[in-house]
Amino acid sequence: MANRVASLAPQFDDPGQQRTASNLGIWLFLATEILFFGVLFAAYAITRVRFPEAFAAASRLTSLPLAGTNTAVLVTSSLTMALGVHAAQRGARRALVGWLSLTVALGCAFLAIKAVEYRLDYLEHLVPTLDFHYAGAQADQVELFFYMYFFITGVHALHVLVGVGCIATIAVMASRNAFSPAYFTPVDVTGLYWHLVDVIWLFVFPVLYLISRS
Amino acid sequence: MILRTETGPKVYVLVWLALLALLALTIGSAFLSLGWANTPLNLAISVTQAALVMLFSMHLRSAHPLLRIIAVIGFFGIAILITLSLFDVLAR
Repeated sequence: MANRVASLAPQFDDPGQQRTASNLGIWLFLATEILFFGVLFAAYAITRVRFPEAFAAASRLTSLPLAGTNTAVLVTSSLTMALGVHAAQRGARRALVGWLSLTVALGCAFLAIKAVEYRLDYLEHLVPTLDFHYAGAQADQVELFFYMYFFITGVHALHVLVGVGCIATIAVMASRNAFSPAYFTPVDVTGLYWHLVDVIWLFVFPVLYLISRS
Repeated sequence: MILRTETGPKVYVLVWLALLALLALTIGSAFLSLGWANTPLNLAISVTQAALVMLFSMHLRSAHPLLRIIAVIGFFGIAILITLSLFDVLAR
């Protein structure tokens, strides 16, 4: 069965061309993802430039310990994913399943920490629309920050959730021996998607959590 | 044709250590009063981290030039969008 999947699709001359085509496809998708998140960053930049004090005050209300931990978790999951792709290249099936499972676990840990963080925000009355109270100056602008905070981190968490689902699927396929050194495209492209979700978080983290801590 | 030179586990671990060190640096720098320089420093560290992930973990260092162009084009578009939008806000 593995060999049937491994065979070269008829429209390609050789496995290298086939792999470039699938890489080209995923990179085009990733470029649209960069544009999608980029628009959110643009909206953030404009509002932050207009209301710098409110954004600084609002940023101090977010949980740096939880977000910092989450950044480390996501960066580590990027490492385990890279090691998984490397195992797939070498055809090391058990290592591949192990690294993918570890990546899924780290992705779930990220989402769990995120949930704890959202709960803390809720208890501190920082959720716009649902329950928002802020006693200090410029309460409306602080609320605007939290609209962006929840939208950006929420959409990012959704991407993590999708990634966890994809990696779990790939792990099951790998355990059924679906991949070989000649064919591991699903592992390769899922890895690229996962790394990009990590890259996006590396920008989300400082702009939302580190505005003014001193 | 993809030009995939083997990036080994050692490189991935080094990238991971560098990312964690840069994370500590960006958090630490946020607690220093650097005035206007805080945000550019945070962003410069983010760009460095993103470059490490994209060059090594995402294999752009050894990828087909077409893939590299596509990878950069998204960021380029966003840079134009943010810069021109800020011109409008700042010059109003």
